[in-house]
Amino acid sequence: MTGTAEPLFVLPGELAIDTDVARQVIGAFIQGQLRQAGFERAILGLSGGIDSALVAYLVAEAIGAERLLCLSMPYRTSSASSRTDAASVVAALGCAFETVDISPMVDAYFASEPDAAPLRRGNFMARQRMAVLYDRSVTWRGLVVGTGNKTESLIGYTTLFGDSACAFNPIGDLYKSQVRQLSAAIGVPEAIIRKAPSADLWPGQTDETEAGFSYPELDRLLFWRIDMRRSVEELVAKGFERATVERVDRMVAGAEFKRQVPPIAKLGPRTAGVDYLYPRRRPGSAAGS
Amino acid sequence: MQPVRIALAQVAPRLGDLEANLARHAELIDEARGSGAGLVVFPELGLTGYLLQDLAADVAMRLDDPRLASLAEATRGLSVVVSFVEESADHRLFIAAALLEDGELRHVHRKVHLPTYGMFDERRFFAPGDTLRAVPSRLGAGLGLAVCEDFWHLSTPQVLALDGAQLLVNVSSSPGRDLARTHEVGLGTATSWRTLMRTYAQLTTSFVVFCNRVGVDESLSFWGGSEVIAPTGAAVFSAPMFDEGLFCVDIDLADVRRERIALPLLRDERPELVAREWRRLIAERAGLAADSTADDGAAPGFDVAPER
Repeated sequence: MTGTAEPLFVLPGELAIDTDVARQVIGAFIQGQLRQAGFERAILGLSGGIDSALVAYLVAEAIGAERLLCLSMPYRTSSASSRTDAASVVAALGCAFETVDISPMVDAYFASEPDAAPLRRGNFMARQRMAVLYDRSVTWRGLVVGTGNKTESLIGYTTLFGDSACAFNPIGDLYKSQVRQLSAAIGVPEAIIRKAPSADLWPGQTDETEAGFSYPELDRLLFWRIDMRRSVEELVAKGFERATVERVDRMVAGAEFKRQVPPIAKLGPRTAGVDYLYPRRRPGSAAGS
Repeated sequence: MQPVRIALAQVAPRLGDLEANLARHAELIDEARGSGAGLVVFPELGLTGYLLQDLAADVAMRLDDPRLASLAEATRGLSVVVSFVEESADHRLFIAAALLEDGELRHVHRKVHLPTYGMFDERRFFAPGDTLRAVPSRLGAGLGLAVCEDFWHLSTPQVLALDGAQLLVNVSSSPGRDLARTHEVGLGTATSWRTLMRTYAQLTTSFVVFCNRVGVDESLSFWGGSEVIAPTGAAVFSAPMFDEGLFCVDIDLADVRRERIALPLLRDERPELVAREWRRLIAERAGLAADSTADDGAAPGFDVAPER
């Protein structure tokens, strides 16, 4: 112990946002998405990590905790602290909570694929959680709220049709550092803000050891490269390592497909996404309308 | 004293739901009349919502549309600015802002500048207007109508003011973005707009009336923050960001005279000089005239050669 408390999180200056405005915009966004779809309730997968905890707080703030169902979907190797952290969010918010153990369904599949590598298993689990979430969204009569952040989306640290699947995402344009800033402002428990981010796909996994850089560093790099349109040379001049910038560039380019709707072969006179362009919700779209 | 009460209808239109939006407009016009307003301003595409894409053709109205006539009917004793998709006789679609007064359609402004970059795709779905005209109003002052992006071009407020506008009315659907903590009001878009409006009010010595919508279309959150700026460039009123509401603001049109006497900027404008220089520029850009002040190797009409 040094006597000086570790800061709750590291926030690069250029990434600092006005959290009051963010809460206002996101709150109205959540209300608007639900209203336009004709839904009153929401459901999300609560992992015990900061992203889903923040979204739970934002949804509860926007529509009331009684309209939110949080699902914990652990696999048997999931860390026990994930579950206690998820429980602490639910206790603080007072929202509905259910646990669905995905171990039997995952194990049933991999019983005949014993040599499957951890990545395959991790992706399968993410998609299994998606399937459970969408099934429970029917009985809860709520929309599935996405919990992925901008950093992981840009570098492709997501499972296609897994954790990225949702009806709408309130935090997908916030970098991890900004997720931490907003989490602190809205009152997410400190233990959740402090702990090392992890996809929890296998024991002891953390995002930062797996990717090889810290989130504040990566967030700054992405902010200057993408939001501020700086060249590789300009980033190097700012003090970023060239090799790191080039590696991140490749990750971003390699994940382009994960951020877009799959292309449809253009054959007919009007094709969805090409020259048949409508808002996702329009008169007649809302459930029960 | 020439007092006027302005009602800013900072609404959240229902996307693509013309009937619901028409009904809401009629309600708010009545409410504004009850509050003693002389001018009521609704935001860009307040009758249709903003992110229409292929819905634009479905919600378009001809200027002789009976629904527009009924809305005009509700404006007896008032000046009201509304905005919708206008379909012309030759079936072009415009983003239009109309002045309705005393039961009649008095003037239509078709959005001149259609942003088609970044998050915007307006030129794909709409045709640009070709005229900028100030119009007299029952308020006893000239109005200059403009729609959102029209104000991101310096010529718009200048032409309108020189044409006789004393109130520049901008109706907008401006999506909020950039939450960097360093911004004056926590939103980059709001900071930029506030700078523009104060500058235009001062440089044209006119009132600037800005009505921006709120609510959400798809990913976009519209930030409201409607304002009235005096001819001195000072804010008379700033509506809250993101909140729906009908906000009433009292102004004195005599402030235009006072400011223009004290600061005769409009008197000193040189439209003939500007027109001459612009004609020269247009000819040079088209390669129809030599540019006497250009570097060797500069593109036609651009005086500075590219770096070698």
